Amino acid sequence: MHRAIFSGQRIPRELVVLPTEEYYRRRYRGSRRGRWLLFIVTAVAVFVAALGAGAARAGQGVTLNEIESGDLLFSGAQQGGYVPAVHLASRARISVRGLVAEVLLQQEFANRSGDWQEAVYVLPLPEDAAVNGLEIQVGERRIVGKVREREEAAKIYRAARAAGKRAALLEQQRPNLFTNKVANIAPGETVHVQIRYLQPVHYDTGTFSLRLPTTLTPRYIPGEVLADTELVTDSSGWALPTDQVPDAHNIAPTMQPAAELTAIGSHKISIEVELDGGLPLADITSPYHDIDIAKRADGRYSIRLRDGEAVMDRDFALHWRPRSSSMPRAALFTESRKITAEGGGREGTYLQLLLLPPDAGDIVRRLPREVVYVIDTSGSMSGNSIRQAKESLQLALSRLQPNDRFNVIEFNSDTRAFFPRPVAANSANIQQARSRVEGLQATGGTEMAPALRLALSQQMPGSDALVHQVVFITDGAVGNERALFELIQQSLRDARLFTVGIGSAPNNHFMRKAAQFGRGSTVTIGDLGEVQERMQTLFTKLENPLATDLQLQWPQELLVDAYPKRVPDLYRGEPLQLVAKIQGGVLAGEVQLRGRLAGQQFVHKLALKESDADQGAGIGSLWARAKIEALRDQQLQSGEQSDAGKTLRGQILQLALDHQLASPYTSFVAVEEKVVRPEGERLSKSPVPNAVARGQVLQRQTYPRTAAGLYTQLLTAAGLLSLAGLLRRGRLARGKMLRHLRDLLRKMLPRPTTTGRCARGAVERGLVASPVRTR
Amino acid sequence: MWRTLLFAACLSAGLWQLGGAAWLLAKAELAQVLISDAWAEQLQSGSEVKPWPWADTWPVAKLQLYRQEPLIVLAGGSGQALAFGPGLLETSGAPGQPRTTVIAAHRDTHFGDLGELEPGAPIQLQDSRGRWHSYRVSETRVVDSGREQLPIFAVPGLLLVTCYPFDAIDAGGPLRYLVYAEYLGVSETVQL
Repeated sequence: MHRAIFSGQRIPRELVVLPTEEYYRRRYRGSRRGRWLLFIVTAVAVFVAALGAGAARAGQGVTLNEIESGDLLFSGAQQGGYVPAVHLASRARISVRGLVAEVLLQQEFANRSGDWQEAVYVLPLPEDAAVNGLEIQVGERRIVGKVREREEAAKIYRAARAAGKRAALLEQQRPNLFTNKVANIAPGETVHVQIRYLQPVHYDTGTFSLRLPTTLTPRYIPGEVLADTELVTDSSGWALPTDQVPDAHNIAPTMQPAAELTAIGSHKISIEVELDGGLPLADITSPYHDIDIAKRADGRYSIRLRDGEAVMDRDFALHWRPRSSSMPRAALFTESRKITAEGGGREGTYLQLLLLPPDAGDIVRRLPREVVYVIDTSGSMSGNSIRQAKESLQLALSRLQPNDRFNVIEFNSDTRAFFPRPVAANSANIQQARSRVEGLQATGGTEMAPALRLALSQQMPGSDALVHQVVFITDGAVGNERALFELIQQSLRDARLFTVGIGSAPNNHFMRKAAQFGRGSTVTIGDLGEVQERMQTLFTKLENPLATDLQLQWPQELLVDAYPKRVPDLYRGEPLQLVAKIQGGVLAGEVQLRGRLAGQQFVHKLALKESDADQGAGIGSLWARAKIEALRDQQLQSGEQSDAGKTLRGQILQLALDHQLASPYTSFVAVEEKVVRPEGERLSKSPVPNAVARGQVLQRQTYPRTAAGLYTQLLTAAGLLSLAGLLRRGRLARGKMLRHLRDLLRKMLPRPTTTGRCARGAVERGLVASPVRTR
Repeated sequence: MWRTLLFAACLSAGLWQLGGAAWLLAKAELAQVLISDAWAEQLQSGSEVKPWPWADTWPVAKLQLYRQEPLIVLAGGSGQALAFGPGLLETSGAPGQPRTTVIAAHRDTHFGDLGELEPGAPIQLQDSRGRWHSYRVSETRVVDSGREQLPIFAVPGLLLVTCYPFDAIDAGGPLRYLVYAEYLGVSETVQL
């Protein structure tokens, strides 16, 4: 309309058809028609999409039924895949006295199927647990388990299983991973298995702590599959034995998302702790659970989960801090064991010692460091773990000083270093590393050995002025731990290896031992919110001088067998914690700890005397457990199959039998004398799955994504194009239709004369024509 | 005015989607040509040949399903590899090895006809040394990938995987269609 003004053409007023009310009405109706079109197209599109989705859902229902009916080929694959036949509930009663925690772990296996079942459960335990009891309980009957040599125990168990007797077997696969088998659970029956173990309480930087794992992160199994293995349906695990991990099938249980397990009422744990720290406490916290704390009249604390039960998808950790006025500098607990009827070999006095070296304070000069950060980006780290790992690494990079040198190594199936050699920690290099860290993705395998080898070989010849540190950020989910320890031991030179354990259920055995062999220290991060605080603890250790050349001097008349055998270097905040067996005399005199800290000699003395009887109960078992660990470490050097290795095996076996402990060579077995399963009834094997740890993505031999989304794209394209077409065509079609109509009407009716105007354009003509039609 | 805008938006979005789909299809078809060349070259030279210089995968086997055009199988089951052709999963075994060989492909590009394979149908697989391995379909099944793991066993065998249902709209569905073929043996002669 404005254009008419610019062009100078004036239209006589009588020729201009002004919009009438009718025009607006029609216009409105017209656009309403457009909206209807839009609505219909959308509705059709939604309907088609819903049909597709419906088809998918319908397909799912059918196929699940198909699968559950079972078939021959995949019978091994499908067992326990859906609803496990045996449900699990746990109850842990922990009692802490002094520096020892005694744990009664009761596990309830409820057979919900119509068959007789054998439950197979991969049981995670603390990495330093001394397992000293197994008991089955069915109704009122209790059957106490005994320690036997591993093969013998397995034989007894197999015989009982075949005979139809109730039996339980507890085998150690890793120091923190056991297999618990329970045979002949009747349909609908519940069998309780009670496991008893002791564990030392850790003390670091003013905080006591205790950990109870409830599930595990599936371990990666490196190596070539052994050619002669047949995957028998008897196997309860998922991985196949390989040349590097021959027992892979024992340590790779079926994993199931926690939500699926809790939906059927399985995998819940209730935890009760009775805490007698012997010191006035400032606070008690549990980082991953809500707890209720009650202080009792006798000064003890009783702690339980706030909701009574928790899902078994993360470690339970408990920290308690003494008041700063009563921070311990040293502690000593003893236990005296007399010769008993149970067998010899364990009498004597056992002691547990905690000694803090002096603190150097903050005045110390900071030495330039060369730090190699290794970050695990394997598939098991996906989910929350990789975020925690990245956050930790970013924090660590930001701590570097200009005179430090650093490198970052990322590994999964392959190992990639950010820089060929450690580079100066200038802002450009750090910025480059930080942005690369941000882009890291967690996928692939966990080939840890090449990464460790590369990290430990980064040290430049002649750069001895620097402190060499390797910070290893991982969940430790590997099956070849011992081979890696060997590697660390061989290629460490003067570097120190620190481990940062990541995730809701890290492999703490790997974390602690790798740091031990690497002469470093370990911290655990289980939650994104913990990163700051825990990394700060690590930085304190990395950046402050450590107490070295530590030696303990015992009174001369005593014969002392103490573990750890060689006192390790202690980082800031770390105490010396050891267990010892004392023979040859009354406990008296004093023990002296000598060492060097920040270039200065120090001597620390502690008077030896026996403590109250009940304060030190269980130290004997802890000592035996520590000795077994030391012997296993020796075996690492000599090899398990060598003569020396076999001698060590004999020693471990004897020790475990004397102290009634589970070990690599001894298992607990409990058998009921009565035959319960009628002859002719079949016994099914039912792996009890472990819950996928919180924040982790289920790591299976995952199916790839096998749809490109072509149909979605084509359908969207069709929908959009037809919508566009309708929008365009709708207008034209309407005009055309109206013209036809008008022509038709014109033929049938006399030419309207009421308006007396010459209409222009389709719309106007339509308008002119339309009143005729309405007549 | 809004009509024209909406029209333009719908048209361009529609064309974009159509183009995307066409690109996927073209990529799948074109890549097979390039990959076939790489495969032929690789069989002759005996070393890995990338089908195009920036490819992150390479051909590892040639799959001949019953009465169909042979497909070249690429290494890895990642999205990038599967866009170009069927992928041999990293965790699975090579043809003839005592470990299940797992080959996956998109249902809407290369494995659209997988549903037509009946038990008893022959499958041929050529490994990188040019030997043909024979398999016979023994079982087909639908599984929920969110609940089950890949059945990889320590015996030679072939497992073909694609998405299910074949005509579902949703690309991220959990169901997978499996075809399991038992291993019959290896023949040194090259058959076409």
